[in-house]
Amino acid sequence: MEGLIYLDNSATAYPKPKEVYDFMFNFYKENGVSPGRSGYDLCIATEEMVSETRKILTELFNGTDPNRLTFNYNASDSLNMIVDGILRKGDHVITSNLEHNSVLRPLYHKMHDGVIEVTYIPFNEKGYIDPDEVKKAFRKNTRMVILNHASNVIGTIQPVAQVGKYCKEAGILFAIDASQSAGIVNIDMKAMNIDMLAFTGHKCLMGPTGIGGLCIAENIDIKGSRFGGTGVRSAQKTHLVEFPYRMECGTQNIIGIAGLYAGQKWLREKGIENIHKQEIALWDKLRKELQKIENVITYCADSSENHIAVLSFNIRGIEAGEVGTMLDVDHNIACRTGLQCAPIVHEQMGTDKIHGTVRFGIGPFNTDEHINTAIEAVKEIASLSKK
Amino acid sequence: MAIITIEGKEFEVDGDGFLQNPEIWNDEVARLLAKADGISELNEKHWMIIHLIRNHWLETNMAPMIRKLCQTTSMRLREIYELFPKGPAKGACKIAGLPKPNGCV
Repeated sequence: MEGLIYLDNSATAYPKPKEVYDFMFNFYKENGVSPGRSGYDLCIATEEMVSETRKILTELFNGTDPNRLTFNYNASDSLNMIVDGILRKGDHVITSNLEHNSVLRPLYHKMHDGVIEVTYIPFNEKGYIDPDEVKKAFRKNTRMVILNHASNVIGTIQPVAQVGKYCKEAGILFAIDASQSAGIVNIDMKAMNIDMLAFTGHKCLMGPTGIGGLCIAENIDIKGSRFGGTGVRSAQKTHLVEFPYRMECGTQNIIGIAGLYAGQKWLREKGIENIHKQEIALWDKLRKELQKIENVITYCADSSENHIAVLSFNIRGIEAGEVGTMLDVDHNIACRTGLQCAPIVHEQMGTDKIHGTVRFGIGPFNTDEHINTAIEAVKEIASLSKK
Repeated sequence: MAIITIEGKEFEVDGDGFLQNPEIWNDEVARLLAKADGISELNEKHWMIIHLIRNHWLETNMAPMIRKLCQTTSMRLREIYELFPKGPAKGACKIAGLPKPNGCV
């Protein structure tokens, strides 16, 4: 869209690098067949691309076995698979107030059905979970801690390494929702003692929508929750238990995986640290300038340390939805308003009562000029504030 | 449902102050509803927006999209907020006698 300033990258990164679009289109055009189902050249080439993508994503997360990097629709899908595949009657789960509905709802359904108990750990005034509070919540029947790595509302990066250490010491499984962090924050599953990592393709990994996955550490015995075609051992009546088949069924999303493959190539070339540095510098400027505007309130944005480039704010006297509409209609700025699918974050901040916040999500293609325009736009809208 | 009284006239409204019976609307009702919203006098620009919203609703049974409203009136949304401090949906649509819009404006 001509002239659009896109600041909704936390929902979906847009645009994607040209290399990603080109590779997806060309690969699908030249090789868009079922991977691993037959022995002809195209089939083998497609399977090789899928295997290579498993490998490079496993390297990205410092996982163990590329076969334990499995593909599905998105992070919500992965988190459902974790909840269904791990939790049993009588289990206790610890999570946080920072979670997205992708964690909250699967857990809620299990809790509502009387299968599990859930403890929610609040965040502090700066937006961080205290690992010691997680540890204090451990019970004899605690089966898993499932934690948001980087908040999609306030952008804070959680101390997952310390939580992982406590979980390992206590023999509790540790899963993270890396929707906002995969591809922009360094993740080391081994060093951080992460047992399961859920990712989506369409945000910082620079892939398309409709592709995501799970990275499962060695020796983690997760039960598969969907069954069907695998392309191998077709005479077997039950679904295969070997990875990656255990967590996948049916023909994979080849064009989606091709997008992840090309996204990884692009990210490696640019360097995740460089992209994060560029985005967080823009975020820092944005938050400092917005904090100078009368009647603008920012949330958990005191420092760029342990932060991704996500900024939530409100203007006193104007509902977030109205601010978003004015940004859209008068300034051609796309952003997200409301509860951002993370209702408990807003409950804790009290912003649920005022219909949420306005959220700017900065991506690798945003520029200083975009940020200047956004600052001026917020200034102008804030001048309407009824206080 | 609630009853509001403006200048001695009673109107049945929903919890957000939107007319329960949009067919009773006319310019005088608009003037009274505007007064209840703190707009003491409706000027030419107010009327242009009110009639545009009303006519769009009569034709389509829907409120116009905000972007479309701005394009048609050649006004910025900010200006519409200055005319109707409660905004196009909670202000202008209410004064135009529409039921509470679900999305769009």
